[in-house]
Amino acid sequence: MEFDLIHNLGIGFGVALSLQNLMYCFIGVLLGTLVGVLPGIGPLATIAMLLPITFNLSPISALIMLAGIYYGAQYGGSTTAILVNLPGESSSVITCLDGYQMARQGRAGPALAIAAMASFFAGCVATVIIALFAPPLAEVALKFGPAEYFSLMVLGLVGATVLAAGSLVKAIAMTILGLLLGVVGTDVNSGIARFSFGLSELSDGINFVVVAMGLFGFAEIIINLEQGANREVFVNKVTGLMPTWKDLKSSSGAILRGTALGSMLGILPGGGALLSSFAAYTLEKKIGDTSNFGKGEIRGVAAPEAANNAGAQTSFIPLLTLGIPSNPVMALMIGAMMIQGIAPGPQVMTERPELFWGMITSMWIGNLLLVILNLPLIGMWVKLLTVPYRLLYPAILLFCCVGVYSLSNQPFDVMLTALFGLLGYVFVKLECEPAPLILGFILGPLMEENLRRAMLLSRGDATVFFTKPISGVLLGIAILLLLITLAPAVRKTREVAFQE
Amino acid sequence: MQIKNGKDFWAGLMFVGAGLSFMLVSLNYPMGSAVRMGPAYFPTVLGGMLAVLGAMVFFRAFVSKFEHPLKVFPFRPLLLVASIVVGGATYFYFAESQLKGAPMLQMLQFALTGLALILFIGAFGPRAMFLILLAVVIFGYALKPLGLVLAIVILIVLSAAGGHDFRKKEIVILSIVLVLFGVFVFVKGLGLPFNLWPGE
Repeated sequence: MEFDLIHNLGIGFGVALSLQNLMYCFIGVLLGTLVGVLPGIGPLATIAMLLPITFNLSPISALIMLAGIYYGAQYGGSTTAILVNLPGESSSVITCLDGYQMARQGRAGPALAIAAMASFFAGCVATVIIALFAPPLAEVALKFGPAEYFSLMVLGLVGATVLAAGSLVKAIAMTILGLLLGVVGTDVNSGIARFSFGLSELSDGINFVVVAMGLFGFAEIIINLEQGANREVFVNKVTGLMPTWKDLKSSSGAILRGTALGSMLGILPGGGALLSSFAAYTLEKKIGDTSNFGKGEIRGVAAPEAANNAGAQTSFIPLLTLGIPSNPVMALMIGAMMIQGIAPGPQVMTERPELFWGMITSMWIGNLLLVILNLPLIGMWVKLLTVPYRLLYPAILLFCCVGVYSLSNQPFDVMLTALFGLLGYVFVKLECEPAPLILGFILGPLMEENLRRAMLLSRGDATVFFTKPISGVLLGIAILLLLITLAPAVRKTREVAFQE
Repeated sequence: MQIKNGKDFWAGLMFVGAGLSFMLVSLNYPMGSAVRMGPAYFPTVLGGMLAVLGAMVFFRAFVSKFEHPLKVFPFRPLLLVASIVVGGATYFYFAESQLKGAPMLQMLQFALTGLALILFIGAFGPRAMFLILLAVVIFGYALKPLGLVLAIVILIVLSAAGGHDFRKKEIVILSIVLVLFGVFVFVKGLGLPFNLWPGE
């Protein structure tokens, strides 16, 4: 087993260290840091934008680059959070609390250094965790039949709705709306084009990029413009990067706890970087001397930064082993794999080991690149922040449009994206979280297919989902999750947690 | 009965409407049985669930402890009605008519559909949204006939007009920079198949 691990990692490094892949890894983390620094454009929109461009790359290079964007964004987000109290990324909201205070006290350097170290450490650990736990999990998944897959997807969707912000009923409704939108297009079994209204453009279904870009990319620009967000940037001078011995000592525990918590929460459906950083900060506030929190406590930077990076990386586990995305970014990665003709799932590891292990080792290399890249380049990133939004958003819009248009080289997709942008605006205004919709959209066709097969195999007996042991356990967990969320005590803390 | 939570009120209506529409359209497809599910099975069941959940959200709006006004975002019902009338008439007229081949009629259908779309976008949200989405749609349909350069300029100028302060000089510079970027990175660098000028 251990020999296997080393052997596998060897394959991975062989792939990831090739000059070409190293370059795409570098481009990925550089772009990731860039969009992480810039508020108003996140990893989701960036990956969606770049998806059509990856048509021409080899599958492994494409995945390495896209993964780099995701965890690179976590790094970039923390830089702006600390220096200008602006979370470049939603997962670094929490880093603002203590990071910016440290910067105001003239300790921006140590804060940035600790954030980078914490992220690097967490990234390394998470890489090892993926390498250790993904293979056995994939082995279990290979035994899955349609009933098990269906129940697993139910669990994934329930997880995503439970963790979504705001009202639970609305989140479930959004998931179902997503499933329904996913069904649009030609039905595989009967060949009937459903909900296409005679439009040939809809017979292949709605492209995932169209939905994601509209709901997240366009809607965000519209909301930003409506609020007329004035961004004033005060940049503190960064002097002396090295943290003191005392800093290192007090933050090492926080880094360890943050990494552990983030790794666990990243695997959960609906989890990932955002949830991990919030949970880690809350945990840190309950341990040891808490008098300094909110006033520049270094542990308040170290823990969430470690957690968001660990969470960002371990959220790849469900994707790589089960072929099921745990958050919208992972759903886009599935899209990227499908474009390359790879069916995501447990068979990837055995059939395409170079792809699987190459991607995992590239994460480690990418983390190293980020540390080398970020600390010396901080000055440049900060300069970027002074670019006003009124110049930024037309450019973002252009990239989005070109990305969508390239999907099929037809104007129809662009028009549809605009309509989803409108829908995204309405969702935000009505406090309906769009993330569960995206997951539902991706899983819709898969779920229907597995449901049909399971019912056919069981001759129409729906109890099969409960009587098959694995499937029953998965559904049991899903029901339990829902019940726990509905319990009054949890409901209250949930409301509090999302208000903070 | 008083509506306390305007957001829940509209969200509930939206979910109920979406659920019922999916169920209604599904009536056109075979239902099948639980053993052999037809194409209508899955969407009908889900549409029903969505409608029920939507009804829950809708009724919650009357007893909610959160208070939101009924006017959640700018909404112009007249434009929406006009859009539905124009769009519906166009759709059904051209679906029935056998004269699809005639180029004049095709142009007319295209123009009317476009008008319905613009009215629809204009019915919701702030001015910024209308201009941004209009810019996007025009970019999509202008790219092939007008070429990349002009399409980019239209997109930038229209979308910048949706912002708060429109500075002519800046927009000119931004357009030039992005046109150069588009030509050299998208077309020359990445090899995307766009023509640069009209009629190429």
